[in-house]
Amino acid sequence: MKRTSVKVVVAGGFGTGKTTLVRSISEIEPLTTEELLTEASVGVDDLAGLTDKDSTTVALDFGRITINHEVVLYLFGTPGQDRFWFMWDELAQGAVGAIVLIDTRRLDSSFAAIDYFERRKIPFVLGVNMFFGERQYTEEEIRGALHLAAGVPLLWVDARDRASVRETLVSLVRHALSRLPDEAKV
Amino acid sequence: MAYGSWPGDDDELGKLVPLYVLVGGRTTPRNTSLDLATQVIAYPSDPAALEPQYRQIILSCGDWISIAEVAAYLDRPLTVIKILVDVLLEQGLLAIGAPAQQTVINRGLLETLLDGLQRL
Repeated sequence: MKRTSVKVVVAGGFGTGKTTLVRSISEIEPLTTEELLTEASVGVDDLAGLTDKDSTTVALDFGRITINHEVVLYLFGTPGQDRFWFMWDELAQGAVGAIVLIDTRRLDSSFAAIDYFERRKIPFVLGVNMFFGERQYTEEEIRGALHLAAGVPLLWVDARDRASVRETLVSLVRHALSRLPDEAKV
Repeated sequence: MAYGSWPGDDDELGKLVPLYVLVGGRTTPRNTSLDLATQVIAYPSDPAALEPQYRQIILSCGDWISIAEVAAYLDRPLTVIKILVDVLLEQGLLAIGAPAQQTVINRGLLETLLDGLQRL
């Protein structure tokens, strides 16, 4: 077997705890890499209000978990600005699935991520980050507000807590397994 | 032109030859299966014979490492590293693992992943 890398995407709106989650479970200090933006990638309007530096690169944070000698898992946080969809495509292509983090105070900031993975039929779980305090809403209330499909797992996660993050990843992989088409179950 | 905007004040890298010259004007890797998570490793070679940009990559790849990590450690944009890696692959100086985005997400791989995560 060749050395194989697998990807998990960590998505969600700005400030939902993506980088914190990656940091909690990564075996390396999370790294940041930059991708160049070409003029074709970003509309002129999108650049309004950004500094020169921000208009030429987009930063990606990621971490790593070595599963065994042959398999290594990378956790990629989506760029903080949801408009960089071209980066999402590269991150999501071939990914095991995604964790979509939400902050219950700003549910709307995660709509775009949910929509993205639903449309592409990429397995994802919803992680309700409890970083900001107690459970202010029930699972049903959150599912209703987000129009979440019944099969999508919803988990309460503390992005600062390694065990909580690990359980979220385990749930995602189980969910991905449950969604394998029959012909792939060999 | 994105590469034309690359700052030339880097102390260790990039000050001798513009990157777009080094890569022969390539703007995308010819090996389109290169993903940011694709694993690469250096074959034994004499890095001293290489241009600094290539030498840095070879020296970063003593053990399996992802393209994204190489880019992060060398503080280079992903696209630039992908193109340089692509050239090194063609020259037979690097080997790659299974391209991440072509990985067939199969039951065996997912179960390996599940086992590994549960052992963390």
